Amino acid sequence: MKRFTNLLKKEIKELVTIQLVISLAFTLLLFNFIGQVSKKEVQKAIGVQTISTLDLDGSAASQALLKGLESARFKILDQSGKTKEQAIETAKAGDSKLLLVIPAGFGDSLQELRPSEIETYSFMRSFSLIGARGQVVVRGVISALNEALSNNFLKERLPELDPQSLKNPIKSKDYVVVKDRMAEGSAGMVAGLISQQSLLIPVVLMMIVIYSSQMVISAVAMEKQNKTLETLLTVPIRRTSIITAKMLAAGLVGLISAAIYMFGFKSFVGGLGEEAAQAGAQTGGATLMRQLGLTFDTTGYFILGLSLFLAILVALALAMILGVLAEDFRSAQNMIMPLMFMVMIPYFISLFADINTVSLPIKIFILAIPFSHPFLVSQNIYLGNYGMIAGGLVYMLVIFAVLVVFAARIFSTDKILTMKLRFGRKRAAAA
Amino acid sequence: MDNVLTVRGLKKSYGTQTALAGIDFEVRPGEVFALIGPNGAGKTTTLRIVATLLTSSGGDITFLGRDLRKEPEFVREKISYLPEEAGAYKNMKGMDYLHFMANFYARNPEEEKAFVDRAVAITELGDRLKTKVGTYSKGMTRKILLARALMTKPVLAILDEPTSGLDVLNALEVREIVRRYVKEGTSVLLSSHNMLEIEFLSDRVGLIDKGRMLDSGTPQELKEKHLAKNLEEVFRSSLR
Repeated sequence: MKRFTNLLKKEIKELVTIQLVISLAFTLLLFNFIGQVSKKEVQKAIGVQTISTLDLDGSAASQALLKGLESARFKILDQSGKTKEQAIETAKAGDSKLLLVIPAGFGDSLQELRPSEIETYSFMRSFSLIGARGQVVVRGVISALNEALSNNFLKERLPELDPQSLKNPIKSKDYVVVKDRMAEGSAGMVAGLISQQSLLIPVVLMMIVIYSSQMVISAVAMEKQNKTLETLLTVPIRRTSIITAKMLAAGLVGLISAAIYMFGFKSFVGGLGEEAAQAGAQTGGATLMRQLGLTFDTTGYFILGLSLFLAILVALALAMILGVLAEDFRSAQNMIMPLMFMVMIPYFISLFADINTVSLPIKIFILAIPFSHPFLVSQNIYLGNYGMIAGGLVYMLVIFAVLVVFAARIFSTDKILTMKLRFGRKRAAAA
Repeated sequence: MDNVLTVRGLKKSYGTQTALAGIDFEVRPGEVFALIGPNGAGKTTTLRIVATLLTSSGGDITFLGRDLRKEPEFVREKISYLPEEAGAYKNMKGMDYLHFMANFYARNPEEEKAFVDRAVAITELGDRLKTKVGTYSKGMTRKILLARALMTKPVLAILDEPTSGLDVLNALEVREIVRRYVKEGTSVLLSSHNMLEIEFLSDRVGLIDKGRMLDSGTPQELKEKHLAKNLEEVFRSSLR
């Protein structure tokens, strides 16, 4: 145990370099900075916005429209008395993001129930989505106004009828059924909320797998490059202990690095996501998910954690073997590519396709990739597919065991010194 | 007295390529046995097999009466190996490197300290041991590696080209250190293609070429047998 601890300490010290600390600190600061900037921009966009208006009508209807905009938290810069061209020039020179022109005869047209046109001029000083939000809100106000006007008209002409019933004679009441539970809501909303909840899993998995694997591959490759491996292999420590120490150190440092990265990522996303989260809560998404039993309990989190943990172990064992194949640090960097693809394939497939409905060969291909299983765990927990979950966990455990045995075999034989992935040329191993 | 190491009919192949075609030699207690031969003769392969890094394709190796193949972990406790192109961890300070290596062999802190003190004396690097190994010259690195190999007073030190790449003075110093430790009881198995170095260092010599042992004996015996003035002439004569 003393020898193992000695080696583990050395492995951790080798991995935690000043470069790693600086890079992590930089990442954290960068994410925080971007998060803060994004937050300010979002606040600006949802706060009071300045728009210019040119009311060429001056009717009660046009005044009602402008009042509606004021109540939608717009600061109105009145351009009355100017021509349209002058108003455009003034608005362009100022801070206004939008100029709203209400033409003469707007009120009369409405009275006579003839379609009336208003004009909007958006001044795009940047191409961000947040910047274009002003026009969306104006459209919302106009739509509300349209609704109110048509309702008034219908009430005047057909006072005994509900305008809503006239406009939408067919109504639907949507229900979602998951297993034996049913709740009122739309399937699209449930799918959206589930994917929002599961978004973090692939990101976490990818981060940890990439960080840890890179570290373990580099740890083995660096021993080769620095010509320290032969000495290490002749000291009195079991070869399995060498493998375990390298994997454990890379796993620990990778986990901490990923946690720091995720913390930074969260503060970045937090800047953009707070408003959306509030909106989700308001629309009753949380209640719907609870009614359908689509929430994680302690067991759910434990299963998900176990699945992620096994996936990390598989990645580390695979990285250890890839590290042996690498000749030096530079080739070790290329070795990480196959691992990254193995994580990314299930991620992208899960974004666009449903594992349960894809063809059998593709299904087998996806399930054969050990990293697919953590992606599937959350929906399998929701749907109660415990057989599938258990199968995935056992599969990952078996793959891990096979890889560790294979890695131990490589380390216990000549292969650790002679096995190389070389492209094109061969070199005699004998001296 | 029993041999420290006995090698009989040692064979090693890499696929169809034969590196060792059956060689015999032994290392006796407190002696320096040297393998000499040209590049590709099989010296490093022999040393790597004895150091438990490679497995043999045939033959027997007995270390302190035990089968090396069956008990590699016992062997690793008693030997130390200095590869020809060895390196040390560049981010470690010299002193930390010595402590790290000593920790694998020491049974308690006192023993670890004794090992490190011995290594510090061998290196003669003084305060430079407080700096990172990555800043050392080739000679300094070789000295710290040799110190690492000898600090535990192993039963058998396996040294592959111990003075490889060193200047005259550093090479002389390394040879003196090896001789000093042999006097204290360590047996040495080394390889070199520097015949003069071998003559200075070795008690007995094995001439190896193309994976075969051509001849072996003390430098004096070999010179007399081949009517040669030095080992270079002995080697040329034995090749004929």
